[in-house]
Amino acid sequence: MFLWIILACLTAAVAAVMLVTLARGAKPAADDRAGEIAVYKDQLAELERDRNLGLISAEDAGYAKAEIGRRLLSAAGDAQADDAPGTRRGMTVAGIFVVLLVPIVSLSAYVTLGSPQLPDQPLAARLANPGNNMALLVAKAERHLAQNPNDGAGWDLLAPIYFRAMRLADAELAYRNAIRLVGTSPERLSGLGETLIAASDGIVTEDARLAFEESLRLSPDNPRARFYLALALEQAGRRDEARAAFEAIAKASPADAPWMELVQQHIAANGGEAAPPPAAAVPPAAVSQGPGGPTPDDLSAAQEMSGAERQEMIRGMVESLAARMQEDPDNIEGWLRLIRSYAVLGDQEKATEALNAGLKTFPADGDEGRQLVALAREVGLSVDGVTQ
Amino acid sequence: MIIEIGHYALVLSLATALIVSTVPAIGAWRRDSAMMGLAPVASLTMFVLVLIAFGALTWAYVVSDFSLRNVWENSHSLMPVVYKVSGVWGNHEGSMLLWLLILTFFSALVALFGRNLPDTLRANVLAVQAWISTAFMLFILLTSNPFLRLNPAPAEGQDLNPVLQDPGLAIHPPLLYLGYVGFSVCFSFAVAALMDGRIDAAWARWVRPWTLAAWTFLTAGIAMGSYWAYYELGWGGWWFWDPVENASFMPWLAGTALLHSALVMEKREALKIWTVLLAIMTFSLSLLGTFLVRSGVLTSVHAFATDPTRGIFILCILMLFIGGAFALFAWRAPMLKSGGLFAPVSREGALVLNNLILTVATATVLIGTLYPLVLETLTGEKISVGAPFFNLTFGLLMIPLLVAVPFGPMLAWKRGDALGALQRLYVAAGLALVAGLALYYVENGGPVMAVFGMALGFWGMFGALADLWNRANFGKLPFNIAWRRLVGLPRSAFGTALAHFGLGVTVLGIVVVTTFETETVLEMQLGSSADVGGYTIVFDGMRDAVGPNYTEERGHFTVSQGGVAVADTWSSKRIYTARQMPTTEAGILTFGFSQLYISLGDPMSDGGIVVRVWWKPFILCIWGGALVMMIGGFVSLSDRRLRVGAPRRKAKPVPAAMEPAE
Repeated sequence: MFLWIILACLTAAVAAVMLVTLARGAKPAADDRAGEIAVYKDQLAELERDRNLGLISAEDAGYAKAEIGRRLLSAAGDAQADDAPGTRRGMTVAGIFVVLLVPIVSLSAYVTLGSPQLPDQPLAARLANPGNNMALLVAKAERHLAQNPNDGAGWDLLAPIYFRAMRLADAELAYRNAIRLVGTSPERLSGLGETLIAASDGIVTEDARLAFEESLRLSPDNPRARFYLALALEQAGRRDEARAAFEAIAKASPADAPWMELVQQHIAANGGEAAPPPAAAVPPAAVSQGPGGPTPDDLSAAQEMSGAERQEMIRGMVESLAARMQEDPDNIEGWLRLIRSYAVLGDQEKATEALNAGLKTFPADGDEGRQLVALAREVGLSVDGVTQ
Repeated sequence: MIIEIGHYALVLSLATALIVSTVPAIGAWRRDSAMMGLAPVASLTMFVLVLIAFGALTWAYVVSDFSLRNVWENSHSLMPVVYKVSGVWGNHEGSMLLWLLILTFFSALVALFGRNLPDTLRANVLAVQAWISTAFMLFILLTSNPFLRLNPAPAEGQDLNPVLQDPGLAIHPPLLYLGYVGFSVCFSFAVAALMDGRIDAAWARWVRPWTLAAWTFLTAGIAMGSYWAYYELGWGGWWFWDPVENASFMPWLAGTALLHSALVMEKREALKIWTVLLAIMTFSLSLLGTFLVRSGVLTSVHAFATDPTRGIFILCILMLFIGGAFALFAWRAPMLKSGGLFAPVSREGALVLNNLILTVATATVLIGTLYPLVLETLTGEKISVGAPFFNLTFGLLMIPLLVAVPFGPMLAWKRGDALGALQRLYVAAGLALVAGLALYYVENGGPVMAVFGMALGFWGMFGALADLWNRANFGKLPFNIAWRRLVGLPRSAFGTALAHFGLGVTVLGIVVVTTFETETVLEMQLGSSADVGGYTIVFDGMRDAVGPNYTEERGHFTVSQGGVAVADTWSSKRIYTARQMPTTEAGILTFGFSQLYISLGDPMSDGGIVVRVWWKPFILCIWGGALVMMIGGFVSLSDRRLRVGAPRRKAKPVPAAMEPAE
């Protein structure tokens, strides 16, 4: 309400200034060519100065004087009748125009464009009183860390929050800082591994694998680390070893553990015999209390998905990668990932296609080409045609 | 609430602009002094309202109010306050608001200092200014509104483009806009005069201070932009013939031509139609520059956001104003009375030559800038028109102009004496050639053409001094009398001499640096050294550092000459954390007019780092010359002639136009 009062005053002030000016009516100039005449008179005076200083010859000065004089005469003779003072009718029309136009234009435009209901929100005031606003709490922590970049506990606290918000680059940095400053722990290493996997579209990269191995070394029973290491084997096409690893997880976990269903699916996908699914689905609340298994979000998403749906999602991701590679084939990492992904999906034909396409950019006798061929052998593709 | 008041003030200024666009113009037509009298007051109101809007936006930036989308997109709470403030115009929406602020500022100046103008002329000028303001207010409110809100507000902003986090952002855009937008006043004067159907010598005198002011600011703005690109981008280049640079250079060339033709018109009432046309063209080129830079046609650090509706909107503004003005010109110009006659060899003749060359040069730059864009639109083919084209065409055009510059002020009006002028200049010419040769021997080993180039630079400088020397008549009169004459010369004479001298300095800098600069790229290890430009540079290793919103790796270099350490500098590579964007901060050392420029490249696997070292002899002359030109502009602005012509309307004294000091 207070805002509207101020806006109304502002509008009224602007309209009033203009109305008063109109009503007073400017005094018409005595002679509308007076300004011009003054200019020419000054030119004459300047000419006189120049002549006295000897900057201009007397002959030239004479010519110039005649010329300026002609201009002066024409201006003086041309002077038109004085401007009319404002006519009453003109003033009234202009006044009505002002009174109508100012409020109508400004109010209608402001009502369309403005947000009168929103107060100002300076950051300092918001940070002083963040309430339950997660983003503000994070911003507060970030400010603290910007000033105290060696506060490992702060980084440790932020890292999983970043991960959940899918700010993966920030999450990676936070995890690495926390590990550097506070030391390694199974949670930090697994978190870092998951961040790296999420950042590379679900592929267990070498960095991620190392993180999980380190995590497993610190805490040998950690099912989360074991799960991702098994996944790494699966993605590398080492199906038998992967199946054995998944089966080992299943054996070590209680039968009602929330990650069991996912593990069983992977056993099945790698050619093993899936155990019957647990009798009751685990409620999400219980999942979040899980003992350091795959993150609750992952699990709940995976639980809600059928095997076919998940396969569909992965296929979509792989296809977008394939499209990218067609546009930008000069990327060996991309080809390796694409071939491996097709192999994981069990699509030998596409995998061979990708291999051949990759070899077009990176010939088999080059370093990169050899990597492609080695991978193809590893995932069981026929490489007879290309190695010769 | 402050933000909403600012938003409302902007909307209210639109309503005011609509009134100034209509009422005074009708008043001028009906010769109704009350309606005309509304123009100055309403123009001032308009300026105050836009100032409130701009102030509100600045406040939102300073307190990091991320409920404003514009602040969230372009600011960060951890930035130093100075960048928060300059960040207001470091983005599309904010910079358009700055543009508008300066436009209304010039309207307000005309309203305040234009009391010596005839009523109808002033009313029409302010009305035309308001038309331009209205167009840009609509543009801002409809396509680029900086006052749009976010609810809920994000907790942190997305940071300002790191390249723009530099003191240069605080100076370069406002100066450039003062120049660009200043030419709008000349445009408004031209259109108003065409509407009035009356243009005379007095008109030229009234337009000249505005032209001079705009030209001076544009000179400074372009020089500042060039220096900023030089030290920030890390390539050691100072001019790239990039379309964005050309966009600012074209109005400068046309404005320079306008400055000179207005002189002829003021003195001789000749070149009237041409001057009006130039005034229209100069601002049209400013608008074209805005269109090129802001529509997303070009990719550059200046094209903040590409949005097709904005491009189309600016294109419409462009067509409306340029098309409208040229149509009016075609209709009214034939009715203007033509002015004085003059012989080919005369001051007027020299100024016509100046105009001829400058307009052809402008056209050359225009073609070089637009041709690739047009070709790409029509055929999809991408070509790049770069330095070779411009050096060959523009460079060649400049040679006769530079040769002619010292002659201009020496020639008499109406009919001059070329032989006499030459006699008065032979000392300057001889000195220039000697100085060029001397510099050649000092720097040793450049191509022969460089001698002529350097001589051309010195020619400009000595020619300007010779002009003052001859006017004061040193050598013929006793020294103290000549000195008194020199002091008594009008300030515009000093302004001319300074501007021409500055041009010579800039030319000298350009020629020397292009000819004699050296570039060394080498891999440096801790303690390794390089010899560049007579100095020895020792690399003392890298160190990590943390700034308010960036981290950097910086290398320390010690510079010695003849075994004695003379200077040291840091050169660094920064990563701005919010955008994860790297920038380079070159280490620059100044020795006299020359500079040593050290830029870091990529680190090598063996612990070394690639370092680029440039020796830039006389490079500061390029911008120093621009600075001298700018000073010349201000000196000329302070000339008393620009203040006369005020009819005594009221008892109280009329404020002096533009410059109070005598």
